[in-house]
Amino acid sequence: MSPVAITVKNTSKSFGKVNAVANLSFEVEADTCYGFLGPNGAGKTTMMKMLYGKCTRGEDGSINVLGYDPAKDELAIKYLSGVVPQDNNLDEELDVISNLMVYSRFYALPRKAATSRIDYLLGFMELSDKRAARIRELSGGMQRRLVIARALMNNPKLLILDEPTTGLDPQVRHLIWDKLRQLKRHGTTILLTTHYMEEAFALCDTILIMDKGAGILRGSPAELLAQNVEKHVLEITGSHSVEAIADAAILQKVRIDRTQETTRVYCDDDQLLRQLTGRLEGAHYFLRPANLEDVFLKATGRALNERQ
Amino acid sequence: MKDNRPYLYPPLASRLFSVWFRHMRVYTKNIFSNGLPPFLEPLIFLAGVGLGLGKYITQSMEGLTYIEFLGTGLLMTSAMFTASFECTFGTFIRMEFEKVYDGMLAAPLTANNLIIGEIIWAGTKGFFFSFAVLCVLTCFGIISLPRGLLAPFVGFFTGLMFSVIALLVTSFVRTINHFNFYFTGFLSPMFFFSGVVFPISNLPAYIRPFAEILPLTHSVRLTRAVCASQYNWYLLLDMLYIIAFILVIGFFAVNRLKKRLVY
Repeated sequence: MSPVAITVKNTSKSFGKVNAVANLSFEVEADTCYGFLGPNGAGKTTMMKMLYGKCTRGEDGSINVLGYDPAKDELAIKYLSGVVPQDNNLDEELDVISNLMVYSRFYALPRKAATSRIDYLLGFMELSDKRAARIRELSGGMQRRLVIARALMNNPKLLILDEPTTGLDPQVRHLIWDKLRQLKRHGTTILLTTHYMEEAFALCDTILIMDKGAGILRGSPAELLAQNVEKHVLEITGSHSVEAIADAAILQKVRIDRTQETTRVYCDDDQLLRQLTGRLEGAHYFLRPANLEDVFLKATGRALNERQ
Repeated sequence: MKDNRPYLYPPLASRLFSVWFRHMRVYTKNIFSNGLPPFLEPLIFLAGVGLGLGKYITQSMEGLTYIEFLGTGLLMTSAMFTASFECTFGTFIRMEFEKVYDGMLAAPLTANNLIIGEIIWAGTKGFFFSFAVLCVLTCFGIISLPRGLLAPFVGFFTGLMFSVIALLVTSFVRTINHFNFYFTGFLSPMFFFSGVVFPISNLPAYIRPFAEILPLTHSVRLTRAVCASQYNWYLLLDMLYIIAFILVIGFFAVNRLKKRLVY
């Protein structure tokens, strides 16, 4: 087993009456990618902020990041980590290169080392031709890449990313995924939150699904799929009643999840589902393998809660 | 992967410098629009007095002509206003709108480092703004060098004083419009009742003690003494006031504002 980069034990955090994080424990192995999934308000961001001392934690529990406790040694943790926050917070008054130069000072990088590191990072994030651009001239995808480049300034052992690709186009998203995989391969531990199930599936070695501050499911993407949801789904749009076309024997073998406009029939046996489609005259349907989104919805429920 | 970094994290002085450096870079990015007004403002003020108002004020004030009296006061008000703007609107925008602090706090800086760096930067701006006024005053022969050269250092401490109180105010403010109360309710009266435009000895006796409470009073008295090279033992009290003000208000400001940055 590889060494552990992060250990969190029984950690809680409340803001007033809201329990943002409730008695959460997890462990992240070094050089792996660990993903937090969960509805808005599940406590993912708060948990991440506690790791680098941006949020204080509740009284009980313990956190260890790269051998340090954020309550005592936040500086050591920050020095060894890079953080990509949910909102881009670049210095809009400065151009690309100055943003990075100013940031390199926070790590006390000597000027020469900083210059060559910045050249490398701009190349790595494919921003080399934007060195002199002002932040406002950058597209959302470029700004995001720049924030990631900034987080990589001190060659971090731990990279924390809060929704790294939200709102980006597929090209940029795939580029960022590629870069993150490269970093992982070269020994960076990655922690990320995301709402995109395909992102979690593509990047994460381990996924923790959170809801209302607690961890409710964890495992590798494959494990989560195998253990928590049927293999196949028949999605029927429109107000077709499955009960009308399926007999009791079939209904016993399937799980039905219904929203106003869509009915999803889950079953391990795709032959059975295929059989059902034959009876769906004129209906729009779609037979597909189950994915993480199905696990997610099953685990966290379909209804919106008061925090979302 | 073996890590051979020189230290656990950068030392305190380096961290404070990096915060100061960030502000300096942003400020000097627009050197023309940021750097010119501090020179223009006293110019306009002195023109107004010299061309118009001054003719009516022939009485000397504390042994100075009116333009000397007002000019030496302006050395400090410019430091006061720049530090106040920097640490009210400036700090609030960086904290709430631009989220610059969130980015900085992801780097090896504590909230304390960040706030104290901010205070030192505001002091630097106080120094620079006083220096700009000094240049103008010198050009017009209102102040003679080299004695006046000490004034920007008083401007530095004035900047520190007004930055700590501004940060304390900022720690309470929820919407940016609330700063209007601070500026009209606190700074504008200070401009008139701290011996900048007329000597506080002209105030009614029962108001004078209040003038002594105001921070600007002490800066102005110190500056006039420096510019005239007339030193007196009670200037030590002024210095003591300034130091105590920075430490005490600064303590509360840092602790309150920290809770808005790390929660």
